[in-house]
Amino acid sequence: MNGGLKMDNAILKVEHLKKSFGENLVLKDISFDLNEGEVLSIIGPSGSGKSTLLRCITQLEMLDAGTVSVNGKDMIVGVDKKGAAKYASASVLREIRLSTGLVFQNFNLFPHLTVLQNLCLAPVRVLGNDRKDARAMGLFLLKRMGLEGKEKAYPCELSGGQQQRVSIARALAMNPKILFFDEPTSALDPELTGEVLKIIKDLAEDRMTMVIVTHEMAFARDVANKVIFMDKGVVVEQGTPDFVFNQSGNERLNAFLSRFAKG
Amino acid sequence: MSDLATLLPILWDGFCTTLAIFGLTLLFSIPLGLLIAVLKMSRFRVIRYPVSFYISVMRGTPLLLQIVAIYFGSYYLSEYSGLGISFDRFPAVIAAFSINYAAYFAEIFRGGIQAIPKGQYEAATMLGLTKKQTFFRIILPQVVKQVVPASANEVITLVKDTSLAQVIAVTELFSLAKKQQAAYASIYPLFVAGVFYYVANLLLSTLFAYLEKKLNYYR
Repeated sequence: MNGGLKMDNAILKVEHLKKSFGENLVLKDISFDLNEGEVLSIIGPSGSGKSTLLRCITQLEMLDAGTVSVNGKDMIVGVDKKGAAKYASASVLREIRLSTGLVFQNFNLFPHLTVLQNLCLAPVRVLGNDRKDARAMGLFLLKRMGLEGKEKAYPCELSGGQQQRVSIARALAMNPKILFFDEPTSALDPELTGEVLKIIKDLAEDRMTMVIVTHEMAFARDVANKVIFMDKGVVVEQGTPDFVFNQSGNERLNAFLSRFAKG
Repeated sequence: MSDLATLLPILWDGFCTTLAIFGLTLLFSIPLGLLIAVLKMSRFRVIRYPVSFYISVMRGTPLLLQIVAIYFGSYYLSEYSGLGISFDRFPAVIAAFSINYAAYFAEIFRGGIQAIPKGQYEAATMLGLTKKQTFFRIILPQVVKQVVPASANEVITLVKDTSLAQVIAVTELFSLAKKQQAAYASIYPLFVAGVFYYVANLLLSTLFAYLEKKLNYYR
């Protein structure tokens, strides 16, 4: 089921991850890994557990069992007496957190701060960077996002596509090792998705390690080195984009893809 | 009009007492209200339940009764226990007003805090901000904007509620006006007192409108 990918030094390793909300088993047994500089697309129908998986890896949700390691650091260090996953110490978790960035579906920019303040707050307050350096970095990132001159604007003054690009810049300002995207274009008007997808493609060309949950099939195929298809809380198929989109004979995957092809 | 010349200084004295009750009540009730709001959202029932009970009593009984209860209650308590904790009239009024208004402010602040989307906390968490940084730099500034209109209502009501202090013979604006009413055998002094309240609230409304506009720079 590994679609001809070779494994070497993985920067992200997920093994046998399980997560349930009450009685509802959302993630049944998820395993995959990702090398530095590669892009992983996660596709699948709504409710398949894609977002929950992302939220478990980024520590916004607690997983029940399994292991996750990010940049060589283990998030889970064992199991307790009841068999539940035992998390690493707070300082290790914090280190892992600071090596991961997350771009939300709804941007979640801080509305009371300007664009530049959104970008500088955490680098100054969390990383302890010099205010001037943070500003320079912020302005550089805005330029890279095609948002030159918007530094003094408030989020409400920007279009959805611009807001999402600011939120990508905000995540990049923390210099993460891996950047996660949770349906980054789902809240956007169709004509605005292109500008955000282009930025993500540019990042991929710069060898930024990324994990992208998306419903944009063509984008998922083009940007990724590796694709995972999830359904009902399990990884049904994973491999190269060519394998997953063209060669896999899996019925559920093909049914899903043909639904998308029809629109 | 010579009536007015003698009346105004008397009422002005009362108005100063009224302002003192107003100012001190805000000074104590706003921070107390914020604290109570946070406690009411506590994960622990031992904290949440007593706080809910406190709020329901404060909102469910007349402020008039609360003033009387604090003043005479503390008097009898110290009389029988010999602890000497009884309040003078003025401090009793401040204490009663503060704990009463704190309950109302707490509910306004709680609503404001709960109206902040979960995504704001998650974004702050992902950026590595601590809980304290998140509350003071991300949540509280947005709460302030949320609660200004509802708080303005409370503040304006407070100006008028200060007249309740007369129940334990604190000589605020309204009680002095009432005395003059007897002296003048006319309700005219009461109307003059009414103008005092009205002008004070007009200024406050203007101030709040300005504040709201000022906070309107986003969203």
